[in-house]
Amino acid sequence: MDFELDDEQRAWLAEVRRFLEDNVTLALRAEMAEHGLEFQGGELSAFRRKIGERGWFGLNWPPDYGGLGLTVMHQHLLMSEFEYWGVPGPDLTVTSVAPMIMRHGTEQNKKDFLPGIARGEIVCAVGYSEPNAGTDLASLRTRAVRDGDDWVITGSKIWNSGAQRSTHEWLCVRTDPDAPRHRGISVIMVPIDQPGIEIHPLYAWSGYRTNETFFRDVRVPVTNLIGEVNMGWTYITGALDLERGALTNAGDLRRALDDLIALVARPLRDGSVPARDPVFRRRLAQVEADVEVARLMGYEAASMLDCGSIPTVEVSVEKIFTSELRQRIADLAIDLLGPDGLIAHRSPDAPLDGFFERLYRVSPLMRFGGGTNEVLRDVIAQRGHGMPSYGR
Amino acid sequence: MRLIPDQDQRDLAAMCRDVLTAECPTTLARALHTPGGVRVTPGLWKALAEAGVLGLAIEEGLGGSGGGLVDLGVFCVEAGQALCPMVVHSTLNAARAVDWLGSGEARETWLPPLASGSARGTTALWNPRDASVLTPSLRAHEDGGGWRLHGVADFVADADLADLIVVSAEVDGGTLGFVVDVSSPGLSVEPLAMMGGHRAFTVRFDGVLVDDPGRVLGGAGGLGEQELRRVANAAAALLCLDLVGVAEAVLQRTVDYIKMREQFGRPIASFQAAQHLVADMHIALAAARLAAQSAVFWIGRGRTATRETAIAKMRAAAVKKITLDAHQLHGGMGYVLDTDLHLFSERARVLATLGGGADVAAQWLADEMDWEAPR
Repeated sequence: MDFELDDEQRAWLAEVRRFLEDNVTLALRAEMAEHGLEFQGGELSAFRRKIGERGWFGLNWPPDYGGLGLTVMHQHLLMSEFEYWGVPGPDLTVTSVAPMIMRHGTEQNKKDFLPGIARGEIVCAVGYSEPNAGTDLASLRTRAVRDGDDWVITGSKIWNSGAQRSTHEWLCVRTDPDAPRHRGISVIMVPIDQPGIEIHPLYAWSGYRTNETFFRDVRVPVTNLIGEVNMGWTYITGALDLERGALTNAGDLRRALDDLIALVARPLRDGSVPARDPVFRRRLAQVEADVEVARLMGYEAASMLDCGSIPTVEVSVEKIFTSELRQRIADLAIDLLGPDGLIAHRSPDAPLDGFFERLYRVSPLMRFGGGTNEVLRDVIAQRGHGMPSYGR
Repeated sequence: MRLIPDQDQRDLAAMCRDVLTAECPTTLARALHTPGGVRVTPGLWKALAEAGVLGLAIEEGLGGSGGGLVDLGVFCVEAGQALCPMVVHSTLNAARAVDWLGSGEARETWLPPLASGSARGTTALWNPRDASVLTPSLRAHEDGGGWRLHGVADFVADADLADLIVVSAEVDGGTLGFVVDVSSPGLSVEPLAMMGGHRAFTVRFDGVLVDDPGRVLGGAGGLGEQELRRVANAAAALLCLDLVGVAEAVLQRTVDYIKMREQFGRPIASFQAAQHLVADMHIALAAARLAAQSAVFWIGRGRTATRETAIAKMRAAAVKKITLDAHQLHGGMGYVLDTDLHLFSERARVLATLGGGADVAAQWLADEMDWEAPR
């Protein structure tokens, strides 16, 4: 085991930091503060192009697919650093969709989609959940019916985040209604500008926009079906493992805690300084320890992926640990800041622009998103320890 | 950065496990836990010495096998799983103290017998309530060509079995270490009856004479705070890995039991409430393992690593809860003495207390953090 970055990894991290120093401009920060990720054709779009130009969207893909052939550890270091800087880097399209295409896609799938993903030109919204198929995803009902050289899709998806700024839907559909529920599912790549698609926004507690997306007789060529028909369940459960691994670096937690520690070392509105209170320091030390553990969990999962194993149990542990830790940090922040911590996000008097007031509202998301922590606890027990399924 | 064990470490773990499985069965651990019970384990001791465990981190020229602290960490996980008697840890601690704090002469004199198992040792180098407190509990003053030691060292592990105790003592203008023969006149050892058959002793030094320069650790300037701290941290971090081993064994026993135990016509392992307790045990164990391995790695690299050690101790303290949840999942079958679960639970409570628990360690970490307002 080696807990130290080697020379090459350190050089890589330095390169990523240089890129961020050069490209995370005040203008980009201002645009993101104003519009989040929603503004198209501005600073953020330019930033994404620069990432694409460096080949960093496909940095750990094999060169045959337009990647740089670097390791998962490289990707993990990059993503952690992007998270620390609070800017979007490689997203689920890169970390989850593309590996599944490489693993299971037809040659045509690979040719059609991978180069565009590597350049950052193809961005997918992940269409898994439906109003009646959430944690119980295998009960999904959106149908695709074969008609000549097309699949014709009808149904709806919910929590379809990013659809409003995506080029494609990575869509999970039922292609055989008569098969047992896990065996009649396929994945189809659907261009989002096809006729029959309607995107309806849903706004979450954090202010985050997600969507319910409706599909009515949406036609896509049969070549857009990923891999083999009715094999989708195998593909997406694999994709979810990769997604969890990619979602759970501790970069944003490290940043939140660094910012909190700096914030509570300064006087609040009444002049008191929370960091002078030994009880508060002890509580901050508790989360400091856990943030460091979360970082180690990320390095461990990346190490395993680089050795060719899919760390299903490990990323479940990591996802539970980081999501619950995020909530504890958000809660602790408001405990420490008191009423100052309640001053609303983006209001002029708010400490750190109300980051922690918002983080408290953000923090429920990752406990249930990407597989609820309850299901992931089942995964740890059942896949990690061979405990029997209770009929899910 | 590569956080998976390499082949050498896996081989070493398998070797340690073989030795402990053969020579340290749970029956032995049970006998060791019994007050007034078995105290000497010649078969195990000989096997560990022959396997090179006692000299694992000692250089080859001095009778060891030239490994590092990480290798000792691999052993400690296995030791925790097997409930290996703590005198092994005590002896390893004594050897490490001599190795890291001693001059050439002290190392050449004491390391070969400790590596071969012909001598057992223990230490009194840090406060048992808070291992970051390195102020010696003993005083030494010069007497002729030697030193006379006075004072009381409390909660000294395995002092009854030890041939030598490595202690620190305050001298004018600093701290020195001493390798004290336990049979020295003026030294008395009184047992404390403690949880889990843990053998701790009050050791009184009433003018104990140390007149052999090969028994004195620390040169003209005495021992520095940092080097003592590193010795203390190494012992603490290795105990965290022992706790990881305890947790691994307890989790395995628990899963085995609840898969077999049926109620309402099905294994209780099929109930989600049971699965979630197991998942939480697993998560706590994963955190404890990574934190402890990191601390041992960095201390082995020559750092003091107080920050990493503190984190390791904070997370290792969660092993207590793992053992208590194991009792919950076992019900009455884990509460009766016959099933031995309490041996693990007691070891967890003891090891998570010695040198300071999670709150003490959180204070170490808080002291390492930067609380200045950035300008």
